Amino acid sequence: MRIVAKGICKSFAAPVLRDVDLEIPPGCIHGLVGENGAGKTTFAKIIVGLEDADAGSLLLDGQPYRPANTADSLGAGVAICAQELSLVDDLSIAENILLHISTSSWARVRRKSAHEKTSTLLDLVGLESANPRSRVGKLSLAEKQLVEIAKTLATDAKVLVLDEPTSALTAPQAERLHGILRDKASDGVSVIYISHRLGDVLSVCDRVSVLRDGKVRLTEECGALSEKALIREMAGADADFDALPRPTESSAPPHLSVRGLRTSRLPHPISFNCQRGEILGIAGLAGSGRTELLGAVFGLDKRLSGSVKIHEDGRITEVRNPRQAIKCGIGLVAEDRSKDGVFRDQTLAFNVTIAGLGGISDRTGRLIRSKEASTVGKLIDALRVRSNGVHQKMRELSGGNQQKSMLARWLHCGSGLLLLDEPTRGVDVAAKLAIHEELVRLRDTGITIIAVSSELEELQSLCDRILVLSNRKLVAELLRSNWSQQEILAAAFSEYAREDEPASVAVP
Amino acid sequence: MTLERRHLATETGNRAFRILEENLIFVSLLAIVAFFGVISESFLSLTTLSTLFNQLPALTVVSIGMTLVLISGGIDLSVGSVVALSAGVIGVGISLFGLPLPLAACLGILAGALAGLANGGLGAYLRLPIFIVTLGMLEVARGLAYLVTDSQTVYIGAKIQAFAIPWGGSGVSASILVALTLVVAFEFLLRSTIFGRQIVAVGSNESAAETSGIDPRRIRCTVLVISGLLAGLGGLMNAAYLGSADPNAGIGLELSAIAAAVIGGTSLMGGRGSVIGAFVGVLIVSVLQIGLAQIGITEPTKRVITGAVIILAVILDRWRAP
Ligand SMILES: Nc1ncnc2c1ncn2[C@@H]1O[C@H](COP(=O)(O)OP(=O)(O)OP(=O)(O)O)[C@@H](O)[C@H]1O
Ligand SMILES: [Mg+2]
Repeated sequence: MRIVAKGICKSFAAPVLRDVDLEIPPGCIHGLVGENGAGKTTFAKIIVGLEDADAGSLLLDGQPYRPANTADSLGAGVAICAQELSLVDDLSIAENILLHISTSSWARVRRKSAHEKTSTLLDLVGLESANPRSRVGKLSLAEKQLVEIAKTLATDAKVLVLDEPTSALTAPQAERLHGILRDKASDGVSVIYISHRLGDVLSVCDRVSVLRDGKVRLTEECGALSEKALIREMAGADADFDALPRPTESSAPPHLSVRGLRTSRLPHPISFNCQRGEILGIAGLAGSGRTELLGAVFGLDKRLSGSVKIHEDGRITEVRNPRQAIKCGIGLVAEDRSKDGVFRDQTLAFNVTIAGLGGISDRTGRLIRSKEASTVGKLIDALRVRSNGVHQKMRELSGGNQQKSMLARWLHCGSGLLLLDEPTRGVDVAAKLAIHEELVRLRDTGITIIAVSSELEELQSLCDRILVLSNRKLVAELLRSNWSQQEILAAAFSEYAREDEPASVAVP
Repeated sequence: MTLERRHLATETGNRAFRILEENLIFVSLLAIVAFFGVISESFLSLTTLSTLFNQLPALTVVSIGMTLVLISGGIDLSVGSVVALSAGVIGVGISLFGLPLPLAACLGILAGALAGLANGGLGAYLRLPIFIVTLGMLEVARGLAYLVTDSQTVYIGAKIQAFAIPWGGSGVSASILVALTLVVAFEFLLRSTIFGRQIVAVGSNESAAETSGIDPRRIRCTVLVISGLLAGLGGLMNAAYLGSADPNAGIGLELSAIAAAVIGGTSLMGGRGSVIGAFVGVLIVSVLQIGLAQIGITEPTKRVITGAVIILAVILDRWRAP
């Protein structure tokens, strides 16, 4: 179907979209890029009736189209895969998918056919291993994202809107989705593809538009564009890619030592050291235990054996639970930010200061508002969090800006050891660079960082050392001097024997 | 350009609207008072005020505790029975064992705190559903109140009434002063202390609170203990007002307290609420009761109207914060 947007305007506290014109013909995959807070999600929501435009019109195959809600848009053949996942944790995968596509609330739940349909969809997106009956709450974030994608595909819509569908996926998983999208497009489906992974955008999309300050700055065929050109349009200025100083070798005494660590979700004992002022990367496929390892170090999961020790000023402290971890100066930026990080209904200031309330209060435990406003103000400026002020509600911030404020939370605490699970998930290129620079700067002031990322390039440019997990086992330690992408990938696959290789991962 | 101008225009319009919206509950209270003032000559009088002041203290302190519990994402259905239990302990302590009043009062409040501790231990640490735990405690505490008083109203005497009798003609009693002080103190606790923030955090996203270094179980348990303690104090106030300990005191009080909290903008889902708001909620509920009685509305009709007001309050609240 051909979808046309004309002069779309939308303001919240401030204007977000001004006169946005876009036209997506059938069979076209149209990329939409822009900085965090540029208005991409808002535009997507308007198309599916989750927000109402202040002005402008939409046309679907030449007919006026103005959905009041997602049921309307689904009826018209337009479906969205939302940036913030909309799954119900307590229902099964099949139920979640069914919930979405059943046309009548009174339709009987036909379990058998629902499970069959769900299985086909899960096969398609690369989740063969998952049982349609299993509870969504038990899935990892990447798996949830795949379910969300399956849910969108289940609608057989003629217009697909995908808002950062790959932010939690590994490269092979994303590649698989791109294949599906190309097939869909050749069947005449039109696709709007929103992402911060510009490489992906250029490879999968036919055309791309850049949003900046609420306006479409450029719409062009992808063939004629480079990543650099896109970044220039997004930021309105040249971003310097090589600004990142090369990490130097460090030889400080160990900051963190992990010995024989085992939890119910990490059955093989794991041992490693981390130097003070080091950026240690953790690589591995989705589900290889990366998130679980950070959680175990932070004391979230019950430890079956082993120890996690922090060495500080000659004193050694054993970390057993999150509270103690934070006291020892450890901070965790969780992968699933809406579940484990963000307080949606509270203010930005509340979210940034919650783990370090001591820093904005006097000795009696009384909060000092002026101090709160100024510390938070400084932090969000430094990290370029885009908001209407520190008292804006968190749920009103764009996804990438929420992510940045999670980092601000630990910077506020003055944590000496940061555990970052996908620290730049959903963050735009310029801000990603800013975060990388900030991390390197922090590292240079003696802060230790352990980062998990699905993007090998990110780990390679950032880290001093990389640990590779495979099938919940620590399989390799690679140094800056001797790593290569092939080597990391080979290690990441090494523990998956042929037969139980996660089918979700096509060998690249 | 036009877009920006329009935006500015709505901004100023919005502000006036928002001020009204944010103070909706005060406006409603004034409207109710004005309504009864116009309809009944005798409403705006000292008698009304002293009736109000007599009823107010116990419900107020209980509502404070309820508000904290609701904000933390829990609920405490046992408060009404705990009020009766505490009153019973105080009454029996004084009249049967001849304990001095301060000691008996402390024992009553302690009984409330222990009930709260039991709620907290079972609900927060053993992770049993808090609704069911406090529902059980509602029965247990009521039964205990009957047991200690032998199901009789225990006469205490004039000494305890000093607490509730207004000074001079002012209508202000020690009970009222204590209740008001607690409202201010707990509003401060909630808004401006670390502990207050932590309560809100636990109620708004438990798992995020945990990764932020807060122990949700400790917070949940603490607010339940506070709620029990305040219900204990409510028992003292109730006994002081009656001059005796009535084992049937406080029946249905938990519902009035929940209603007051919700009218005051507290969310039953946790993470949002205010103690001052709950106090205004208490005023609205009480003024409504007294006003309706004065204009000769019968008990059944009174209940219908009060119930409708509670539902209306929730509708307004939903519209205010979707
Ligand atoms: N309900 C709301 N109330 C107020 N402001 C809002 C609301 N929703 C979005 N905004 C603001 O609109 C702007 C655009 O948000 P949007 O989510 O569309 O950005 P985005 O381009 O998707 O960014 P990201 O890449 O971070 O996801 C942001 O500055 C955000 O704070
Ligand atoms: Mg977005």
